Amino acid sequence: MKFKSQKVAYWFFASALVLLSLQIIYGFIMGFAHMGYDGWHAVTPFNTSRAVHTNLLVVWLLTGFFGATYFIIPEEADRELFSVKLAYIQLVTLMIVGVTAVVGFHFNWWEGRKILEIPRPLDFFVVANVLLFIFNIGMTVLKGKRFTTTGIVLFMGLFSAALLYLPGMIDFDNQTIDSYFRWWVVHLWVEGVWELIMGAILAYLLIKLTGVDREVIEKWLYVIVGLTFLSGILGTGHHYYYIGAPKYWLAIGGIFSAMEPLAFLAMALFGLFMYRRSERNHPNVIAMLWTIGSAVMSFVGAGFLGFAHTLPQVNLWTHGTLVTAMHGHLSFWGAYAMIVFAIMTYAMPLMTGRKLWNNRMGLYAFWLSNLGMVAMTGAFAVAGIAQVYLERRLGLDFLAVQKEIEPHFLGLILAATLFSVGITMYLINFYNFGLPKDEMVGKGDKLEAASGFSGE
Amino acid sequence: MLSKSQARLFFLIGTVGFSLLFLFLTVDTMRQVPKQTNQDQITEAVKRGKRIWEHNYCMGCHTIFGEGAYYAPELTKVIDRRGEAWIRVFLKDPQAMYPGQRKMTNYDFSEGQIDDLIAYFDWIGKVDLNGFPPKPVKRLVQAASSNSGSSFATTTVDQPAIYGQLCTACHSLQGSGGNVGPALDGVGNRFDEEYLGKWLKDPQAVIAGTAMPKLPLSDSDISALTAFLSGLK
Ligand code: HEC
Ligand code: HEC
Ligand code: HEM
Ligand code: HEM
Ligand SMILES: [Fe+2]
Repeated sequence: MKFKSQKVAYWFFASALVLLSLQIIYGFIMGFAHMGYDGWHAVTPFNTSRAVHTNLLVVWLLTGFFGATYFIIPEEADRELFSVKLAYIQLVTLMIVGVTAVVGFHFNWWEGRKILEIPRPLDFFVVANVLLFIFNIGMTVLKGKRFTTTGIVLFMGLFSAALLYLPGMIDFDNQTIDSYFRWWVVHLWVEGVWELIMGAILAYLLIKLTGVDREVIEKWLYVIVGLTFLSGILGTGHHYYYIGAPKYWLAIGGIFSAMEPLAFLAMALFGLFMYRRSERNHPNVIAMLWTIGSAVMSFVGAGFLGFAHTLPQVNLWTHGTLVTAMHGHLSFWGAYAMIVFAIMTYAMPLMTGRKLWNNRMGLYAFWLSNLGMVAMTGAFAVAGIAQVYLERRLGLDFLAVQKEIEPHFLGLILAATLFSVGITMYLINFYNFGLPKDEMVGKGDKLEAASGFSGE
Repeated sequence: MLSKSQARLFFLIGTVGFSLLFLFLTVDTMRQVPKQTNQDQITEAVKRGKRIWEHNYCMGCHTIFGEGAYYAPELTKVIDRRGEAWIRVFLKDPQAMYPGQRKMTNYDFSEGQIDDLIAYFDWIGKVDLNGFPPKPVKRLVQAASSNSGSSFATTTVDQPAIYGQLCTACHSLQGSGGNVGPALDGVGNRFDEEYLGKWLKDPQAVIAGTAMPKLPLSDSDISALTAFLSGLK
């Protein structure tokens, strides 16, 4: 930690982890409901659990990104944050909005469109909150001593994410148009601007962890985000095949979304090559694991499993089945959850001064959560493929098919338990780090040097 | 080798170029959508139906146009599949129509709200979705019934329309239909017309606590149904 204000990141990370834990609880409720045990129906019917599960996901990832940015930007701009107070105000208001939304979902208060369920009045608070963040970061960058590519890409990613939230707030009477613009938020986030955020965090971590020259890393960062937009913008078409939009989207969406995995492949290769080029071994082995892990798993979850159902001929059959849920889990985990874990794991020793960077608890947390998530993906995959075959190909009744695939949800629950054990170990490790310390300001290099490392 | 400024140029040109192309295609799509979706048929009732759909977040269990959650049936073609009459009864008390199954919330809809939802589903079902949902490759049930052949005597009276609307969701005939209630093949051998008439009028009065709900049937519906059922021998 070079600047005192970087400390705010800690509170963003801690809040993100709390929301993640809640998200997992609601995931279990839905898993059991799919298995036939919907005993919670009166308290939290499936649609409530679902809205909570996915909204908490988005909110904790954003909280993680905000934390990451508050940690990275002072270092990239080489000055303290513009205002620490604004950062805390932003965190507290964000949590209030998040909690209000989650409580509201239990009382049938929502906007009722998948992933954008937050009720309209709260949307305005979200926008105001993000503007506050953009202002704080923007001022820090403007007043900063240097502009780095990593800093700019990160800032542009967050800025465009805020901008793209707006099309999701327009009302349409036509379901097709409604859906058309809903994807401007959902797709252009995860397969567009969020990749900028991920790429920038990845580049930052690689610069810090491998000691490879910044110019080389940032050059490839441009190539990756270039590939992202080249394929991802028109790739939006893979959501326009079957919603009442013109037929040409089948061709355009098919061709361009089929190229989207290239950006993720580039990300994976980028991580692996830079890792191999690193001359020195950074002592924070676990942060390195999460970093390379994220680069690789994002390719598997988003690139490979995305490609598996993105061609219109395949998507005709899998559209809106559990196959989509399979892809949704591993892609969000690999690309966005893991990169947040990576930056947290990197930052914690530097903020707290505790050298828990190669301990058993942290290593198990990494392996168990990843093993669990891969197994969950497998359970969704088997259930999804069986559903497509029985319901779509053979024309069996929906509920009859759901009965057939109930056993795979036992598999899901078991895998999710493994995953949750991993996450619990991460939480314990996080707790063991303790709070960030002011004495650590400017001491990061010494901490690393004590373990024989000298980096940027 | 590629330099950093070349890489930046690649990023900028790619992003700006494809964003412009995307905006152009969006304008064209907005021009074509009204025709493809029969926008002129979006009546006030359809709009109200959509608002009820959103207000209750039905998409958090169901999919529509293949978008939503994977817990409850895809509803794009629900009017074709179940018919208006059945959906009316169902929405009044979802759990009565699927006893002991996965639960749908009971919203206590008024007749007017149900009208709006049906108008909405009706409009949804007529949108040209480029071939979604796909037709099953081979219907298992049809395959089964053609195997068993027509050696079983079927019926002497034509099937009344109301049967397809209200009964097939729970009962099967020749292997085709729902499985909430027993198969009705040969039901004419088991019960006489009088019993069937009483049963259809109010199942609860015949067998207290039965899982078959009381359905909104007129006297002429009942006589058509009993004639049909007693012919199933
Ligand atoms: C919500 C599902 C449901 C619907 C809709 C439904 N039934 Fe039933 N039906 C049942 C169930 C369950 C039973 C078994 C009742 C029992 O034995 O307690 C049953 C039993 C019967 C029986 C007695 C069959 C036997 O062999 O014992 C007849 C006849 C019958 N239904 C006719 C009809 C007709 C005609 C319609 C359409 C107007 C209809 N049902 C609609 C669920 C349904
Ligand atoms: C908590 C989850 C849930 C919510 C919310 C929900 N449904 Fe359902 N719905 C179901 C389930 C499950 C079924 C399958 C039948 C059953 O088990 O009751 C169903 C069946 C239906 C059917 C009959 C479909 C068929 O093919 O048999 C219609 C129509 C329907 N729902 C409409 C709605 C509407 C309209 C809303 C919103 C106002 C809604 N549902 C909200 C769970 C839900
Ligand atoms: C990190 C990046 C990604 C994330 C987080 C992600 C996540 C998701 C989620 C959550 C959905 C469900 C959305 C909904 O129905 O509302 C979805 C759908 C989809 N994704 Fe991705 N995705 C990513 C990348 C990709 C890529 C690279 C491809 C293609 C190569 C792809 C192809 C698809 C397709 C075709 C669907 C539609 C499925 C359907 O028809 O039901 N995704 N994705
Ligand atoms: C660990 C326990 C978890 C369980 C048991 C679980 C289970 C589920 C279930 C049952 C659904 C609903 C599918 C449906 O609509 O029927 C769902 C949706 C979803 N979950 Fe999870 N989940 C868990 C954790 C996670 C995590 C950690 C993430 C993110 C990294 C995640 C991301 C998602 C997404 C994006 C969706 C929406 C998928 C779609 O619409 O296609 N879940 N989850
Ligand atoms: Fe997408």
